[in-house]
Amino acid sequence: MGKKNLVMNNPLRILGLEKKVKEDGASMGLVMSRAGLGKTAILVQIALDSMLWGDKVLHVSIGEGFDKTRAWYDDILRLMAVEEKNESFQTTVDGIMSNRMIMTFKESSFSQAKLEERLDDLVQQQIYKPVCLIIDGYDFQAGTHAALEEFKEFMVRHGLKMIWFSATTHREDKRESSIGVPAPCHDIDDLFDVVMMIAPKDEAIDLKILKCVSDTVDTGTSLTLNPSTMLIQKA
Amino acid sequence: MSVDLSNVRNIGISAHIDSGKTTLTERILFYTDRIHAIHDVRGKDGVGAKMDSMELERERGITIQSAATFCNWKGKDINIIDTPGHVDFTIEVERALRVLDGAVLVLCSVGGVQSQSITVNRQMTRYKVPRIAFINKCDRTGANPERVTAQLREKLGLNAHMVQMPIGLENDLVGVVDLVTMKALYFEGDNGEIIREDEIPAALQERAQEKREELLEAVSMFSDELMEVMLEEGEINPDLIRDAIRKGTLALEFSPVFVGSAYKNKGVQPMLDGVNAYLPCPNDVENMALDLSNEEKEFAVTNNPDDPLIMLAFKLEDGRYGQLTYVRTYQGTVTKGDSVFNSRTGKKVKIGRLCRMHSDEMEDIDFCGSGDIVALFGVDCASGDTFCSGDISCSMSSMHIPEPVISLAIVPVDNKAQINMSKALNRFTKEDPTFKTFVDHETNETIISGMGELHLEVYVERMKREYNAEVQVGAPQVAYRETITARAEFNYTHKKQTGGSGQFGRVAGYMEPLEEGEYEFVDSIVGGSIPREFISSCDKGFQKSLVKGSLCGSGVTGVRCVINDGAYHAVDSSDVAFQLAAIGAFKEGYMKAKPVIMEPIMKVSVEGPTEFQGSIMGSINQRRGMIIGTMEEGNYTVVEADVPLSEMFGYSTTLRSLTQGKAEFTMEFSAFKQVPKLVNDELIKKYQSEKKNA
Repeated sequence: MGKKNLVMNNPLRILGLEKKVKEDGASMGLVMSRAGLGKTAILVQIALDSMLWGDKVLHVSIGEGFDKTRAWYDDILRLMAVEEKNESFQTTVDGIMSNRMIMTFKESSFSQAKLEERLDDLVQQQIYKPVCLIIDGYDFQAGTHAALEEFKEFMVRHGLKMIWFSATTHREDKRESSIGVPAPCHDIDDLFDVVMMIAPKDEAIDLKILKCVSDTVDTGTSLTLNPSTMLIQKA
Repeated sequence: MSVDLSNVRNIGISAHIDSGKTTLTERILFYTDRIHAIHDVRGKDGVGAKMDSMELERERGITIQSAATFCNWKGKDINIIDTPGHVDFTIEVERALRVLDGAVLVLCSVGGVQSQSITVNRQMTRYKVPRIAFINKCDRTGANPERVTAQLREKLGLNAHMVQMPIGLENDLVGVVDLVTMKALYFEGDNGEIIREDEIPAALQERAQEKREELLEAVSMFSDELMEVMLEEGEINPDLIRDAIRKGTLALEFSPVFVGSAYKNKGVQPMLDGVNAYLPCPNDVENMALDLSNEEKEFAVTNNPDDPLIMLAFKLEDGRYGQLTYVRTYQGTVTKGDSVFNSRTGKKVKIGRLCRMHSDEMEDIDFCGSGDIVALFGVDCASGDTFCSGDISCSMSSMHIPEPVISLAIVPVDNKAQINMSKALNRFTKEDPTFKTFVDHETNETIISGMGELHLEVYVERMKREYNAEVQVGAPQVAYRETITARAEFNYTHKKQTGGSGQFGRVAGYMEPLEEGEYEFVDSIVGGSIPREFISSCDKGFQKSLVKGSLCGSGVTGVRCVINDGAYHAVDSSDVAFQLAAIGAFKEGYMKAKPVIMEPIMKVSVEGPTEFQGSIMGSINQRRGMIIGTMEEGNYTVVEADVPLSEMFGYSTTLRSLTQGKAEFTMEFSAFKQVPKLVNDELIKKYQSEKKNA
């Protein structure tokens, strides 16, 4: 009951991603915002959604420690528990934790090749085979179109259905793509199936959908974030 | 005794096992006239090295306890703590580093940077200990000090450069070239005690010049003056280079590398010169204390001998002289007969006897000043306690103490051994905070836990040798638990008629899982179907049933037993009858309540070189572990996982062989979780068979 409830009530259902992922596979998503607005919180909620669906998630954190990344999950789950007021919530959480693995890298030591090497270790020894990858902290300033395309090929090689990235925007950099995707991802937006932008609006925080190739959502549709909990809500 | 702190060096000697650091210490003591004959670690003369004072250490050729000693080299007082090389004895290394100002990292010129060097280096970084490196065993086949220096840079991330290079290697090692003075040094006499300075051999001139250039380039960044002279291509005064090396070393940005072979008596004295020249004196190091009278606000100790006393007890030893307490004085002076306060207990302690420790021998002294490391005799305190004079109340920052990772059950062979074992355990736990002991009330066994199998093995051996306490070491046991997962009803009548007064009692009700707590008894009897005086008998009966579950014989927890009906007989009902009825009722309900076996799950953290990440993860996976995450830190990786305790026994050995001894792990209890079906069935089968054979 708890799990089903959590799955069905997740505001992310609006994106219809599970449908798209099941049909096409190999989709890339992007969450953008200025520093400190909650990209990791969104990525963790996306990861939890996948975990609830039974998908194995590999959360790759670049530049953040293991404990800090795990603390994000603990915090979000604690907040969800308060909202859910469901007695079996903890049982649900215990049940899905085997669907998560965290991998952290220092900024200087991360590369797609290294990630692939680590993933091979996991898959070949039948330790863990993720279908969804969260890459938090990827350096898009250095990442070229070709490098991101390489990620697409990487997904196919490893049978990944979805990779979610986070990218930090900077106020002073005004560049943006024709559909409004800001720098540093303005000239690689064609590679993403979903692009979401976190932007403060009055006393709330908007989660604006800049791009979504799924036919279940109109571009421009918004979700909001509860500014005190950073939990996604329906607008 | 010198009081000028610039003439004091408190150093540690740390390294990977078998790098020869005890041999090196032995040579240091010989050259500084502390001992008058050299004995080898595994010497044929049967004496053993001076610093390995425990019989066991001499037998195994490893250092188990760190010993403290004191010597004087060219006018500098050097306090040396020789630290163990095995990863299981890390606490000894940690405690030594906490109180030392500098360290010598000893490396084997063949083995290079090994796991313990990495661990020790990390610990040195944690305690901000400036270090010099000594690449030992250059006389060994395959010796390659340049490769080891490169490893110091690559694997440890140190800005390490050779300040010496060997003259010859392996069997041809005859001396060293000092790259600072550009002179060749040869070690002559029976024990290499005579140093002959000469010109660098022609064949090495070019290489020596190259290495010197490398050194100058690396250290010039610490001295503008040196850089200026280099730019002007002028004559470089060796003192200028030494100054730059010292500045870099003290700032933890440079590590000078010395080479030699302690066993062949080569290169030890120049390394001692390096200790004097490059390692800090107490005044060069900032040590912080917590002001207990001001909300534990941190402040820097002064090192001033005229200021109030601050002294840290960093190691306890209960030897033949009674309790010895090793202390480091951070400021002030203490004189024999002084009274000081233990800031933890607030108790006044009289310093009856002050000693300088020279391995297991003591040299009485009258006073010790700031910066000194000495031993107090007969002072009752715990490791980590701070002593102050009455006018100040502070505590030195606490020391990092790793949690024990492995446990073993021990059983004394006889009554005498039982008494001796208690004495031994009492002493060991006081001496070593990583060694813990407790009695498992479920199995009634004494459990010892520590940092690894060797750690515990050594204590078991010490119990036997030092206390004549012979114990049997059982295979590590896991305390499983049983619990129920469903509500189940019971209605049991105990009836016995064997002549004389009979036994009668009926107990009815239900049992259900209890979310929090181990056991709860609820009396819902109405109408007196069980008389009041027998209610507690029912409770007792249920509690007796909890001791041993019927699945695998482990204790049952998380059960609420509710009685709501029953029957009695005016004559045949008794306390015993109702207890037996409750036991029967429990048995009846238990199997219907879907019992399961729970096992302790440990949070395991394995740390090792990145190249072994795959093997580490594989080994955890094979042990029913759930990998929670991995963390890459430079060339190091940490793998975090939840693993059942039952699968962790012998893991240190497996891990060592998988990773060439380069990885280590820690674990702590996380939670009790239900065992998988296969393990469940195995445990039940094993218990049934044990019962059958009993």
